[in-house]
Amino acid sequence: MSHLSYEESKKVVLRGLIILGIITLIEVFVALLGKGYIIHDFHLQKWLMYLLMISMSLYKAYFIVYYFMHMKYEVPGLVKSVLLPTLLLVWAVIAFFSEGKTWHDWRAKKNDRPIGIFENPPASHSESAGNTPHHSQEHNTQQPEDAKKELSPEEHPAEKH
Amino acid sequence: MSAHHNHQDQDVLIEKLGYDDHFHEHHEGDKYQMNFLTKYIFSMDHKIIARQFLFTGIFWAIIGSAMSIIFRLQLGFPDASIAWLKPLLGKWITINDAGMGSLEPEFYYALVTMHGTIIVFFVLTAGLSGTFSNLLIPLQLGARDMASPFLNMLSYWFFFLSSVVMFYSLFLSTGPFSGGWTGYPPLSALPQASIGSGAGMTLWLVSLALFVVSVLLGGMNYITTVLNLRTKGMSLWRMPLTIWAFLVTAILGLLSFPVLFSGFLLLIFDRSMGTSFYLSDIFVNGMALDRIGGSPILYQHIFWFLGHPEVYIIILPAMGIVSEVLSVHARKPIFGYRAMVYSILAIAFLSFIVWAHHMFMAGVNPFISNFFVIFTLIIAVPSAVKVFNWISTLYGGNLRMNTPMLFCIGFVSMFISGGLTGIFLGNSAIDIQQHDTYFVVAHFHIVMGVAAFFGMFAGVYNWFPKMFGRFMNDTLGKIHFWCTMISAYAVFGPMHFLGMAGVPRRYYRFDNFEAFSGFDVMNQFITIAAIFGFMAQLVFVVNFFWSMYKGRKVTEQNPWGSNSLEWTTPIDAGHGNWPGKIPTVQRWAYDYGKDGIEYTQQHVPLREGEEHSSH
Amino acid sequence: MSAEHTAQISHQHNEGGSWNGASEPFKASYGKLMMWYFLLSDAFTFSAFLIAYGTLRFAMPTWPVPDFVFSALPGGIHHMPLIFVTIMTFVLIASSVTMVRAVQEGHRDNKKGVVFWMVLTIVGGLGFLSCQAWEWTTLIGEEKMSIVRNPFGTHTENGTYLEGDGHDIKAGDSFKAHSSYLIHFHDGQFHPLKYKTEAGEEKTQKMGPKAFGALFFFITGFHGFHVFSGVVFLIIIALNVASGLYAKRNNHYEMVEKIGLYWHFVDLVWVFVFLVFYLL
Repeated sequence: MSHLSYEESKKVVLRGLIILGIITLIEVFVALLGKGYIIHDFHLQKWLMYLLMISMSLYKAYFIVYYFMHMKYEVPGLVKSVLLPTLLLVWAVIAFFSEGKTWHDWRAKKNDRPIGIFENPPASHSESAGNTPHHSQEHNTQQPEDAKKELSPEEHPAEKH
Repeated sequence: MSAHHNHQDQDVLIEKLGYDDHFHEHHEGDKYQMNFLTKYIFSMDHKIIARQFLFTGIFWAIIGSAMSIIFRLQLGFPDASIAWLKPLLGKWITINDAGMGSLEPEFYYALVTMHGTIIVFFVLTAGLSGTFSNLLIPLQLGARDMASPFLNMLSYWFFFLSSVVMFYSLFLSTGPFSGGWTGYPPLSALPQASIGSGAGMTLWLVSLALFVVSVLLGGMNYITTVLNLRTKGMSLWRMPLTIWAFLVTAILGLLSFPVLFSGFLLLIFDRSMGTSFYLSDIFVNGMALDRIGGSPILYQHIFWFLGHPEVYIIILPAMGIVSEVLSVHARKPIFGYRAMVYSILAIAFLSFIVWAHHMFMAGVNPFISNFFVIFTLIIAVPSAVKVFNWISTLYGGNLRMNTPMLFCIGFVSMFISGGLTGIFLGNSAIDIQQHDTYFVVAHFHIVMGVAAFFGMFAGVYNWFPKMFGRFMNDTLGKIHFWCTMISAYAVFGPMHFLGMAGVPRRYYRFDNFEAFSGFDVMNQFITIAAIFGFMAQLVFVVNFFWSMYKGRKVTEQNPWGSNSLEWTTPIDAGHGNWPGKIPTVQRWAYDYGKDGIEYTQQHVPLREGEEHSSH
Repeated sequence: MSAEHTAQISHQHNEGGSWNGASEPFKASYGKLMMWYFLLSDAFTFSAFLIAYGTLRFAMPTWPVPDFVFSALPGGIHHMPLIFVTIMTFVLIASSVTMVRAVQEGHRDNKKGVVFWMVLTIVGGLGFLSCQAWEWTTLIGEEKMSIVRNPFGTHTENGTYLEGDGHDIKAGDSFKAHSSYLIHFHDGQFHPLKYKTEAGEEKTQKMGPKAFGALFFFITGFHGFHVFSGVVFLIIIALNVASGLYAKRNNHYEMVEKIGLYWHFVDLVWVFVFLVFYLL
């Protein structure tokens, strides 16, 4: 199957070990550098870090598939039949992630508060809701009192307030 | 000049032009058939496995459709006593003091759920694609068997196990799962959510997980067989359309079922380990649950990422069968062969990017919905290409109006009627009105339920002689067809009106709602039509089993005058399919009426001066 | 098996294009193709998990910072962010490399070489599993993280701590938004710290999103299960190689090649698990 001689392919293996190892090190380095571990108070832009790390991971994936799994030496048809279907995931990633973002935004909007981790609900808030009948719309403001009894204090969910 | 070859001619042709793979010299092909157990039960012969899939499919089809009759009785005649069903359904029927027996509402939901699960997965996926992929892929490609007969056997037995688990769940004291065939959380994720959400749901999940394994084992086998085991001369563009459809179906299954499997694993964790992948802000009996941060819509996305390709897993094999059978019995080459192939591929691709059109009303971001609307509406293009090609194939043909042909025409009719309403529902603006009404029920029953069944029937009537060496009774077949056709439209036609009027699906009874109380008579009519249609299927079952033993015997190898290779095997083909050499393929599969000759089989070489048909 | 024979013999009949039948158009046996397509389907399984992870993460207002979560080393060493997981990754890469060597020796029909490199691969796989076992033990036992509880979180606002936790954080330490490990666990209990935002508001820390713990254990567990089953298959196949079973088949140890594909796939998945859980 291999189009390389034995000696050549042994070299590819060694190269693979070095390349994958070094890229992993660079990835970790970028992660730590970007968050200010290595140089004090030096931070990288988030998008830049993400871009670097995602592209390096994709290169690692390419290397594993093409050299270790021998895809480079397979017939183009086989390569396409295995790799092209994964492109279907591109739209899945876009659609799913945008959905996740939407849930986040809508939850924040419904709560009508800045996004983040919040204090316990102000007492007046739940008291005012205490007399209203149990409508599903009201649950979010009204029920944490019940919920709190069920949960240990430190487990009280951040999203509820 | 007669195009008919008798046995002798055919065998001579295979002997002369076929190639010898020394299959029968190894005595390995026949070792599978040593005794009853290895020949009929744990068989590795694709023809036997196909029959196993078919029988199991028929078993489930009877159960699944009988369930629909019971809940149709409830919908059509909510005030009639069904105490007479007590012996069958036991405690699910409560009898009041006046002796009036009525269906438990919980059981109504269980019936609806099981009807969907059984028909979608067990009948139209395993029963349809499992049967005909297994039967036809090796036979039509000129292969001795599947690439891996052993995994093929496992594929059936995983399906069987899955069936056993699901069947067992029907007899639980808390009943089978009752939260809808889609298994949406929280009903599926919280065992305390409803009576069927406990043990019933657990078994449902186990059963479908086993089913996914079966589909994957089968799918890998089908794909590699089509790629690697075609006989000499069988290039991709000479394959019958059935094979193209099965290939693409297998690819769809291979890519979409794993995603469902992932979704199920997450669901299992939510059920039994207390995680919250799909749960957030849940209140049960006024108590807040400690389940925060997930989203039930995540499950819906994952489910429909499988669910939409699943629709095409169901309909594509039917399309392939219809393309082939239609061409054989119209005695004409299929119109636009390449367009058919490309439209199958286009449909397959589109099926992976449209899933959220099932969820327009579930709380999907309207912005992203727009893309899903556009992609969905594009599917109409390849679908229309296929419809036009079928009609053009019929045009000017020398039609044999036998049962398989009738079912093919019925399929085209159903596909058009159901497909048109799909364009309505694919628009999110219209879907806001029609969502979760009987309009949707009518749409998908016609386009993927009845149409896929018609494809399956066409296949069964057409290849019954290959499977059992006998014909099915044509008169009974025609009775079956016309009764089914009429009742299908009688059941699902009026449902469009119900849906337009906003009548919601999944309701137990409607007489409490002033807006829907005017539809009593229509609901009764639908129920009567459904019972009529169910009776018509019994005609098929009787015909099927009667013909297996008493049907007219097949006396010639190629009774339909068909071109594809399965009809070059002996009437009662043993393991390895061909007794001697394997035929080689000299031409495409649709040389009907070429040069004034009625048909020319694929292994017949070009006549003098003849050129390959351009296609 | 009969089909194997058919495939092999049919190979000799190849005339014309490879797509014209009676040949292997992809120049690969049916077994290797099936392994590829199985891996493709498995890739979709993992993709579904990772996409679910991404979706839930996008839906959360906060997410734990990985270099706080994964900062322990064996021997009671703390505050060495991502070092342990880097070692784990190296172990897995190394086992992938030894697997490639085993396949290469298989192509030369060198039985001893195949066994030698496969044994090294198995050792690598077991090493990875041990690392994972230690990581899980630490997270569950010491940090009290579980599939239903996540003691890690991040600050969404800038501010200063009002009190210390007795270890590293002193009263008056400042922190930046989207950094910092929130809940500190010591002396047998959680110790949520009080802090003051830049706007002057006083607050107390809260637990991070539960989905983090659930997704972490679920996805790394599913990957670990793949590694485990890979090790089991590697052991079985190594034994078969040693017994000379595959030498008889005379197909250059194709079975080793197939399990090799699976093993590299496990490594491939780890690339993405490593990316989304530890780096991003």
